Amino acid sequence: MRFIAFVFLFVHLSVWSQKGNVTGKVTFSSNETAFGASILVLGTQKFAVADNNGEFEIKGLSYGEYTLEISSFEAKTKTVKFHLNRPSHNINIALEKTNDPKILKEVLVQKTTVKKEIMEKGFSVNVIETQEAAKRNIQTNDLLSQSAGVRVRQNGGLGSSVNYNLNGMSGNSIRIFIDGIPISTYGSSFNLNSIPPALIERIEVYKGVIPAHLADDALGGAINLILKKGAKNSLSASVSYGSFNTVQSNFNTTYRDKSGFTLKGSGFYNYSDNDYEVWGKFVYNILPNGRYNYVRAKRFNDAYRSYGGRVEAGFTDVKWADTFLIGFNVSDDFNEIQHGQSMTKPYKGRFSEADAQVISVNYAKKDFIVKGLEFTVNSVFSQRNEVVNDTVRWNYNWFGEKALGLYGDPILSPTGAQQGARTIQHLDSKIFSTRGGLNYTLNDNHKIVFSSMLYTFGRNQFDELSPLESSFLPTRNLFKNVLSLAYELEAFDSKLRTNIFGKRYEQQTEQRDPSIITENGQNKYIEVISKNTTSFYGYGIATSYFVVPKVMASLSAEKAIRLPSENEIFGNPGENLTGNNSLKPEQSDNLNVGLRFGPYKIDNHKFTVGGSGFWRNSKDKIVRQFSNRLNEALQTSPAVNLGNAQSIGYEAALEYSYNSKLFVSMNMSKFNSLFKDKYDNNGNILPYYNQQLPNEPYFTVNGNVQYNFKNIVQKNSELNLYYNFGYVGEFYTTWLEIDKTTAQFPHDLGLSYTFPGKKFIVSFDAKNITDEQVYDNFAVQKPGRAFYMKLNYIINKF
Amino acid sequence: MKKSTLKLLACGLVLTTFALTVSCSSDDNKNTDPVNPVTDGRWITVAGALMQTAPGDGNGGTKVYSVSKQDAKNPEFSIDVYEKGTPVQSSRTARLQSSVDGSTLFNITYTGANGGEFMTYKVNGAANFTQSGTTVSIAQYAGTSPRWVKLFDGDKTGVAVNVTAPVIVQDANNAYKYTRGTATVLAVDLQNILISGFKQYEIALSAEEELKGHHIFRLDAPTLNKAGNKLIIGTWMRKTNPATGENEATFERLGSKSIVVDYPSLANPQVITSTVGFGDTSGYRSFNSFVGTDGNIYQATQRDAKNGSYILKINQSNQYDNSYNFSLDTALGVKGSYIDAWRYAGNGIAYAVYTHDGANGQGFVARLDLNAKTAKKVEGIAYDADLDFGQYQGFVVDGNELYIAVTPVGKEGNIYVIDIPTGAVTKGAKLLNKAGNHYIGVF
Repeated sequence: MRFIAFVFLFVHLSVWSQKGNVTGKVTFSSNETAFGASILVLGTQKFAVADNNGEFEIKGLSYGEYTLEISSFEAKTKTVKFHLNRPSHNINIALEKTNDPKILKEVLVQKTTVKKEIMEKGFSVNVIETQEAAKRNIQTNDLLSQSAGVRVRQNGGLGSSVNYNLNGMSGNSIRIFIDGIPISTYGSSFNLNSIPPALIERIEVYKGVIPAHLADDALGGAINLILKKGAKNSLSASVSYGSFNTVQSNFNTTYRDKSGFTLKGSGFYNYSDNDYEVWGKFVYNILPNGRYNYVRAKRFNDAYRSYGGRVEAGFTDVKWADTFLIGFNVSDDFNEIQHGQSMTKPYKGRFSEADAQVISVNYAKKDFIVKGLEFTVNSVFSQRNEVVNDTVRWNYNWFGEKALGLYGDPILSPTGAQQGARTIQHLDSKIFSTRGGLNYTLNDNHKIVFSSMLYTFGRNQFDELSPLESSFLPTRNLFKNVLSLAYELEAFDSKLRTNIFGKRYEQQTEQRDPSIITENGQNKYIEVISKNTTSFYGYGIATSYFVVPKVMASLSAEKAIRLPSENEIFGNPGENLTGNNSLKPEQSDNLNVGLRFGPYKIDNHKFTVGGSGFWRNSKDKIVRQFSNRLNEALQTSPAVNLGNAQSIGYEAALEYSYNSKLFVSMNMSKFNSLFKDKYDNNGNILPYYNQQLPNEPYFTVNGNVQYNFKNIVQKNSELNLYYNFGYVGEFYTTWLEIDKTTAQFPHDLGLSYTFPGKKFIVSFDAKNITDEQVYDNFAVQKPGRAFYMKLNYIINKF
Repeated sequence: MKKSTLKLLACGLVLTTFALTVSCSSDDNKNTDPVNPVTDGRWITVAGALMQTAPGDGNGGTKVYSVSKQDAKNPEFSIDVYEKGTPVQSSRTARLQSSVDGSTLFNITYTGANGGEFMTYKVNGAANFTQSGTTVSIAQYAGTSPRWVKLFDGDKTGVAVNVTAPVIVQDANNAYKYTRGTATVLAVDLQNILISGFKQYEIALSAEEELKGHHIFRLDAPTLNKAGNKLIIGTWMRKTNPATGENEATFERLGSKSIVVDYPSLANPQVITSTVGFGDTSGYRSFNSFVGTDGNIYQATQRDAKNGSYILKINQSNQYDNSYNFSLDTALGVKGSYIDAWRYAGNGIAYAVYTHDGANGQGFVARLDLNAKTAKKVEGIAYDADLDFGQYQGFVVDGNELYIAVTPVGKEGNIYVIDIPTGAVTKGAKLLNKAGNHYIGVF
């Protein structure tokens, strides 16, 4: 509180000092307008980008002496000094054009603008750019796992199920969005497994503290995918082929005519057999007498195929809208499942199929009705279907053959099918999701952000193999509304940025249970309806301060929550879970503090170093009530608010570049996820109190090196070499600390070659070159050594 | 006159009873042979279950530690399985059994990556257990969380049983017909660590019972009969609502059922039904029926909330003896008795750990006389509100002595040694505990 008072005190001081704007026009010496040139006020965080006419405006500078640094990929960088002593100062700048286009520098300049803005708000956030990765044979999940504090735990190769861990928080507490819309709206066929980096503008990973505009009950963090937005005429397409019969291809095109009519289309197709080799302690065939025969085998029931397309039509940059687009998105996937939680039992014939049809409307307008008011709305309606199919009744061995019993006959699987009982389970959902935002910029120092997220979800499920039971399964509807209000402040020439926000969560759930009652000897079909409403408040702050121009300190904190799921509220007979409508949300107090230095430039060396510490303290965790004499046939138990947990740790990142040729980046993350239930019923301290939770990787280091050669085979060509590693420290898999994983240290190599003309790029990647056994989950091996080749085709102007 | 005759009669009756009692006990005293064989130098292995996330859940794994009989009987001696013990393989509570002489532990891991794996441990004293070089997996036949016990056949064989998830079958007109799973019965050669035989079949109930939705949900606790030619397998029953296909939370129970199969072929499953008891006959995590000294099988029942637990009798023709009616509720004078685990101790005497309605899940120990059909709560044991035998698995019977581990969740307890002929209770070694944990047996 004292801190906030302090902030306000200084705001007043800065608001009272006299301020002015700088405007101007940037041209090349030939009078050609310098579209895209960046203008930076040295010593501050203020910058602008020259528009189509070469004009720019920088507002809210206190009176005084300044130096502008103007850079453009087509010209030499120039600095201009000026003295601001009146409300508006106009400067015209002429740049000297060079003949050597520095493509890469342009990329860097553009990068810094968006990324910088997000990074400097004070949140603990990774902004992952996809531009480089899009040219290479890299999947979206690979990109995420290379960033600081993010652990992607995947159950195998392309398409297999994924769990995300952000700073020690995982599972239900991490929410994933596409353009701010919960990813569940799009279904499992359009997710981080299937969307290629080429269709993504950037990925924002918010750890612990979530900004108001991404309103949702994301207790531990949020991953937001921003799909490509560009309104320039362009076409790009790529196809990649490699090990395990893996094909990945996509195209993306945008057309905009002078009237503002815009048409965008994109599509992807992925396929992989995922028939990589597995071996070791968990890969064996069981002989008829029960003894083990350890084998090296290729996965045989792990194929994955996904495809999808997206068309958007509408208007951009017209008088009445910055963006007005109506979109249609279809996606479909087929995914064979090789095994469950561990590799010890290979499955045959278990697979899932999913498809989704999504209609969306997007509208965004700055200066909506009044100047300074920005209005955005994004509405999405989807119909998605999922089928899990598991009907094969026999056991299989790792060679894909029926396992034979003692008398030479195949053995029936002990569960009825591969993973559980035989099933063809359908899940059909209809989802309507809307995100609306109103941002009002009072002046350069004050901004108010209001955001609302509505999510309604209706689900039907049935099992083809038990039609009787299925017709009596309940219908579930869920309605969620999150409202958030934030106040953003910039002071001291943008040295201080503060963002204070509050969020209101409301969730309604409804369950309709069909049942039969007997009245006067007649069976009557009735529906029992039960409803539930939970509402809750959360709040937080994010702030950054530039101590000196290149040293930024940041702090963010939030009282975050996760609402109980419909199963937790209403119960799930399939899991013997009874309902509990007095469940409270899970709560967590999250805190991040960070410090960033740079970018410093010494001759041709440029580097940035940053680090942050984090603390998560969650309570009222929703866990299953425990009962010893639980009769799994008849009795059931509810979910209750019981558990406590804490995650505390730190991460650090380093970026270095030399002469725009060598780029090195490294990050590390270490945390302790601690068991925080302290007492038993008699007040004794529990043995695991304050101990590290098992089966969680807690120490990771990632590194990337890129080297850029120009004109190497042909003139105006470009060659990039890449090296990347991801180290995961060893960890125990059980409380008893009997089994420990080994440390993992796989290495990847890659290269990409851009042909003169920049239309074609060819890339080659070699992953896990030492063919190390890698695991994200205990006893589930990921792909070994693999090679991929990719061809990209890009036209930027037509 | 009449009065005095009555008095005399009463007096005489009392005296006769007294004389009978005296003569009985003097008979026992005269007979110096112990009730059961004695193994000199037998190790007593205690097993403790660790909590995972909730106190008493026992899902954090299992540790074992062995001591001599002298130390086990010594109340001055302390055992701390959690600090000094050795973990046995299992991601949840291991399903342990021991050889009669206590020299070998038999273990099948329960759930996890290696669930359903059978191994033996040679007991060498203290925390020194040697795991067998070979292991076998019964997972392909019986799943990763199998239910099994060893047979009393000289520690030669273990039998595991399983039922696949029962599936509803409808007739041609989509009317409900029955719910059935496929049963597996499997024999493990404990000495050679091999699977020695198995059979898989669907087990039908009567058409009438099936049409109402009754079905076998699980099998457990097989016992070899005296003749050694049949296995009696306990059942865990469930009921589908034929109208909706859902499983019913409460239903009118059928008479207790067991499955009888030929041994050693494991073939020819037959269902036998009691008219006396209505509970399940599966037990939980350990033995649930025993061949008595008289050659009949005595079997406990569970999950009959209405009538409580019964001890049922299966005669040597492998049929329920419905003239034998032993209700634990009646014998103990409680309602809703529930036997968590029990052990036959010879000469018609058995010991059971149980709870009952109104006890808040607290566990007690009872001495059962199967011949007299009487039961009595054992005094001399430190009962506690946190004492819960829900996961209890192991008793040791050696000569005239029965060993039992009694620890409330998160509190210290003791081994108790009970003299089988007299029922005298002696407090043995102290069992040190940790918050959230409990001891699950002696082996």
